[in-house]
Amino acid sequence: MSQNSAKPLESNEKIDTQWSHRWRSVRTKSGALSFTLIFGLLLTLALIQAQGFKPIPTVWEGIQYSLGDPTSIARTLAWGLPLCVAAIGVALAFRSGMFNIGAEGQIYAGAMAAAIVGAYIGPMFTGLHLALCIIAAALIGGLIAGVLGWMRAVWGVDEVLSTLLSNYIIVLFCAYLATSPLRDPDRQSGTTKAVFDSAMFAEIMPKTGLRSAIFLVVVLCLAVWWLSEKSTLGYRWRMTGESASFAASVGINVKRAQIQSMVFSGALAGIAGALLVTASQGRYWTAIGSGVGWDAVLIALIGRARILPTIGWVLVYTIMRSGARGVEQVSEVPAELSLILIACIIIIAAARAGVLYKVTGIGRRLMPKREGDVNGMV
Amino acid sequence: MEWFEAFFGSGIRFTTPILLAALGGLFTAWTRDLNVGLEGAMIFGAFFGVMIGLNSESWVMAVVLTTFLGVMSGLIFGYIVAELKVNVFVAGIALNVLGAGGTVYLLRSLFGVKGTLSGESVPSIPRVDLPVISEIPFFGPILSGHTVLTYFSWVLVAFLIWAVHGTKLVRHLKASGEHPAALATAGGKVNGMRIFAQAWCFALCALAGVQLSLGQLSLFTEGMTSGIGFVALAAVIFSRGRVPLLAIMCFGFGLSSAASVVISDDIIPPQFAQMTPYVVAMIGLIIFARTSKGSAMRIATPVMDKL
Repeated sequence: MSQNSAKPLESNEKIDTQWSHRWRSVRTKSGALSFTLIFGLLLTLALIQAQGFKPIPTVWEGIQYSLGDPTSIARTLAWGLPLCVAAIGVALAFRSGMFNIGAEGQIYAGAMAAAIVGAYIGPMFTGLHLALCIIAAALIGGLIAGVLGWMRAVWGVDEVLSTLLSNYIIVLFCAYLATSPLRDPDRQSGTTKAVFDSAMFAEIMPKTGLRSAIFLVVVLCLAVWWLSEKSTLGYRWRMTGESASFAASVGINVKRAQIQSMVFSGALAGIAGALLVTASQGRYWTAIGSGVGWDAVLIALIGRARILPTIGWVLVYTIMRSGARGVEQVSEVPAELSLILIACIIIIAAARAGVLYKVTGIGRRLMPKREGDVNGMV
Repeated sequence: MEWFEAFFGSGIRFTTPILLAALGGLFTAWTRDLNVGLEGAMIFGAFFGVMIGLNSESWVMAVVLTTFLGVMSGLIFGYIVAELKVNVFVAGIALNVLGAGGTVYLLRSLFGVKGTLSGESVPSIPRVDLPVISEIPFFGPILSGHTVLTYFSWVLVAFLIWAVHGTKLVRHLKASGEHPAALATAGGKVNGMRIFAQAWCFALCALAGVQLSLGQLSLFTEGMTSGIGFVALAAVIFSRGRVPLLAIMCFGFGLSSAASVVISDDIIPPQFAQMTPYVVAMIGLIIFARTSKGSAMRIATPVMDKL
C-alpha cells in the first residue's frame, strides 16, 4: 500500500522542487542585488555623514546631478560609453578563464592609435575616417592582448601578471610618444595634435558630450552578448573558462579559444580607447583613460563576467560616478567616493554568501546548496 | 667609481620597498592565497605614514602606528578571504582600486589637498651610518647610510632563511596552503594560518609604503607606489617560495629602477628608463614560465562559470 502511493508523490515532488528551485534562484539573485545595493547606499550615507553633511539631501543632489533632467542623463550616458565597451571586453576574457587585467594599457594603446589615425591621415569622408580610427584601435588592442594570450596559452606565462605589467609598459610608451615625437608643439607637453573633425562622432546633444558613438556602443553590446551567449565560438570560450580539461576532452581547442577570447577582449578595450578620443577628447593626452580599465575590471567581476549583468552594473556605476561628481559640487565629499563604493560593493557582493552563512544559520536554509555560492566568488 | 657607488646606493634604496612588500607577499604565497593587492596595501601605508607623521612629528610613531594599522587591516582582509571565502584575487583587485581611490579621497577630505601632502613637520626616517662597515673603502658608502627599515629588511631576510628550515610556524603556513586537510588533522589551524599570513603581508606592505613616503621623500603623492607592488608580486611569483631567490630578485628590480634614475635623459627618454623594471619583470616572467615545469605558481583566479 505504501509502496503504491509513493510513486505519484515522487513525481509531484519532482515538479515541485523544480519550481521551487527556480523560484529560489530568482529570490537569491534579487536578494543578492538588493543586499549589495542597500549596503552601497548605507556606506554612501555614512561617508557623507562623516564629512559633516546631511546625507540624504546630499545624495539627492547627486542623483539630480546625474539623472535630474535630459541634459544630465545625456552627460552621464556619454561618460559611461567607453567604460561599457571596455567592461564587456574584460568580461568576455574573464568568462573564458583569461584574466585580462591589462584593459587599462589596451585602452591607452587604442586611444593612441585612434589619435594618430585621426590626426595624421585625412581629412576624409567622416564615416570612413572614423571607421579607420576604430579599426586601428581595435587592431592594436587585439594584438597586444592576443600576444599576451598566446604567451599564456602556449608558454604558460601567467596572464594576470603579464597583463598587469603590460599596463605600465604601454602607458609609459604612449606617454613617450605624446611628449616627444607626436607632441603638439602649440600645447603643453603630453598632448598630441587634435584629430580632424572627420574623425569625430557627431554630437547628438550639444554641451553634454553625448555623441553618435552611443549607437556603435549599443550595436557592440548586442553583438558581444550574442557572441558570448549564443554563438558556437562563445560556447567554446565559456566551456574553456569553466573547465579547460573538460573542454579539451570534448574536442574544443582550448589554446585557440583562450587566444581568441583575449584578442576580442583587447580589441574591445582598444575601441573603448578610440571612443575616448573620437567621442570625447579629440586628441590623446597622457592621462586620457586614467582608471577606466580598472573600473572595467571591477565591473566585469561584479557582473560575474556575464554580458547583461555587466552592462547593468556599468549603468549603475556610471550613475554613481556622475552622482559623486554632483555630490562633490554641493559638499566637500570628494568624487573618489564612487571608487570607494565600487571597491566595497565588490567585496560585499563576494562576501555575501559567506556573511549569511556565518552570521545566521538562515543562510543554510535560504540558499540553494550550490558549491559556487559559498566557495566561489561574488 | 663615484657613478658606480651612486648606482648601487640608490639600487639598495629602491630595493627596500620592493623587498619589504615581497617578503609580505611571500607568506601569502606559502598559504596559497597570493595577495594581488600589495600595491593597494602599500599606498595606504605610504599615506598613513605621512598622516601620522604630520600629526605626531615623530617617525617612530609613524612606523609603529602604520604597522599596527596594517596588521589590523590584514586581519580583516584575512578574515574576508579565509572565513567569508571571498576569492583572494577578487579581494586583491578591489584592494588596489580602494587604495588608489581611498588615499585620494582621504587626502582631499581630511587635508583639502590635491596631489601632494607635505609639510615642515613631516618627519623623515633618519639614515643610519653603520659604525664599522662605513669605513670599508668601496662597499662602505654603498652599504651604509640607509634607513632603519632597509636594515630591518635585511635582518628579516636572514631571519626567514633560518625560519624556513627551523620553525613550526613556517611549516604550518606552507601546510595550510599545500595540505590543509593534513594540517587540520594534525591539530593545526588552517584558517588561522591564512589570516596570520595576510596580517603579516599587510604589516610589511605598510612598512614598504612608509619607507617610500618617509624613508625616501617625507611626503605623500597620489599614486606614488606606481606599480612597485606589482613588481614585488612578480618577485614573489619568480622566487617560487624561496627566500634567498626572492631577495636576489628584489635587488635586481631595485637596480633596474636605479638605472632609470642614473641614466641621463639625453641618452634614453625618461619614459623608457622608467619602463625598465616592468620590462625586466616581463622578460623574467617569460623565462620563468619557459623554465619551470608543471606546478608553476599561478594567481588563484576564480572560475566565473561556476556561479
